[in-house]
Amino acid sequence: MAPAAHVSELTSEVSTAVSLRGLSKAFVKRRGWRDLALRPFHRELVPALQSVSCEIRSGEFFGLLGPNGAGKTTLFKMLATLVTPDDGTAIICGHDVRRDPDRVRKVLAPVIADERSLNWRLTARENMRLYAALNGLRRAEAASRIDELLALVELPEAADRQVAGFSSGMKQRLLVARTLLANPQVLLLDEPTRSLDPLSARAFRRFLRHDVAIRHGCTVLLATHSADEAFDLCDRVGVLHKGRLIAVGATAELAATVAEERYALWTRGDATAALKALAASGAVGRIDPPVDEPNGWVRTELEIPGGDDAAADVVAALNRANVRVARCERLALSLADLLERTLQHFGRPAGAGHV
Amino acid sequence: MYKIAALMRAGWLAATSYRFGVVMSFASLIVGVVPVYFVTQALQGQMSTVIAGEGDQFFAFIVVGMSALTIISATLYALPTALQTGTSTGTIEAMLATPTGVPTLLAGLAGYDVMYALLRATVVLVAAAVMGAHLTWDRIGAVIPVLALVILAHIPFGVIAAAMVLAFRTPGPLPQLVFMLSTFLGGVYYPTHVIPGAVRSIADAVPLSYGLRAIRVVLLEGKPLAAVSRELLVLAAFAAGLAIVSALAFQGALRYARKAGTLAQY
Repeated sequence: MAPAAHVSELTSEVSTAVSLRGLSKAFVKRRGWRDLALRPFHRELVPALQSVSCEIRSGEFFGLLGPNGAGKTTLFKMLATLVTPDDGTAIICGHDVRRDPDRVRKVLAPVIADERSLNWRLTARENMRLYAALNGLRRAEAASRIDELLALVELPEAADRQVAGFSSGMKQRLLVARTLLANPQVLLLDEPTRSLDPLSARAFRRFLRHDVAIRHGCTVLLATHSADEAFDLCDRVGVLHKGRLIAVGATAELAATVAEERYALWTRGDATAALKALAASGAVGRIDPPVDEPNGWVRTELEIPGGDDAAADVVAALNRANVRVARCERLALSLADLLERTLQHFGRPAGAGHV
Repeated sequence: MYKIAALMRAGWLAATSYRFGVVMSFASLIVGVVPVYFVTQALQGQMSTVIAGEGDQFFAFIVVGMSALTIISATLYALPTALQTGTSTGTIEAMLATPTGVPTLLAGLAGYDVMYALLRATVVLVAAAVMGAHLTWDRIGAVIPVLALVILAHIPFGVIAAAMVLAFRTPGPLPQLVFMLSTFLGGVYYPTHVIPGAVRSIADAVPLSYGLRAIRVVLLEGKPLAAVSRELLVLAAFAAGLAIVSALAFQGALRYARKAGTLAQY
């Protein structure tokens, strides 16, 4: 774990796309009519972001993970110059969001994930034409760029169809294409797969990783409350909780630290005694109470430090102890688990903990 | 300028995608002129002396007033409505995130509705002319600067209402107030000189009263622009003064919305 300033020194040699220093925002709490009448001049502030500091390198796919109300959208709106920070600085490709918002809007673009932000009565191409103009592209340049981007998002055949007839996945891809018209160096994606079915979401993630980040070379900031999505897509992940960035780290390292230790075992009969023996030797960590399943199998969730190799050793040890093991499976980490573990590992420091 | 044109084009394409709606909209305009013709014909005897100096035919007098009111309505309501709709759908958030200046966005968002209102007003005038309204068509070029000033004197009310939408999510009472005052004290259905003393002073503060007088003197009496120079000066003063007030109001609202975090929030 290293303090934020230390990390910035380490990364100063590579180009920084986004630099946040003590970024804070509080909103005035909404009050009822009665309270307004009794205390008309009283103002209560609710912190949305508290002293968020972080560096994001050019070309990085950075995930911002947190539950609803963690401050992800507020942070994105600040970066997109739609909300003014109360305190701290946010520098996007060398431009301050407060002092130079016009330049920031030329290098950073948020993907507005709301499908309704497209004009459904227009065709995909007409939607793109409008935003090409708003991004300052002249007619000839715009025409070729629109064709190129519609091909990138695999919508060339649907280009001249009304958006109203598009599926959610097509609309999401069009929203990304619309944003890429600006040729942004930094792209903000706020829960882009929330309205997609699992298959479309997986295809869309692949598209984001390979076509947007790798092929297009954008620095991508992805806000999500899906730990799987963040670990699947991102080079590094920041965990935001109640407006504080409680951890930042390389995805693999963060996952190894807080995620890749939970397993479920299906055994014939209760394996508690054998597992307790393994726990005494340190091969197994915390063991949850076993749960009976149909057909006489027992499911036990437990921690196995050391990942899959260690899990294989545990299964072998159980077999030697005459415990029949039907299945051993690494558990996907829920956001709640991730937050709990991150808080356990990093506590609640003034700055973010770094893996 | 091309950004404004792109926004107006998008507005036009979206509106004309409802083809039956467009046809019905123009059909209802033309049909609406018919009862006006018969009613004004019936009142022509009583009203001819009352409207003296602003044309000699009550039908043409009313048609010009109604056409102007259509345009005024668009200038008052286009922006706040576009902002309210755009905020709820997210289009405003998407547009504000592009490197396009706010004044350009506002001009583009209001532009289509104002142009459409101008088209509707022209259709009403043509339909009225076909039915026998006495319009001096060779003066139509001279009407354009008057109309431009009328629009410029009313757009700021729309901008102030849009500022209210940004800050408080409601246009407030201003557009309705200006529309009602323009309807009853702006000389749409009768000349302002028939309004009694105390209320007359309110009519003098209504920009449309100057605009309509100028348009009628030019289009119905066939007089040159020089004959309405006083009205043009007053309209220009309204436009300049209100432009400053509305720009300050909108900047303040934008700053407030960015600070309060409500800029792109429904």
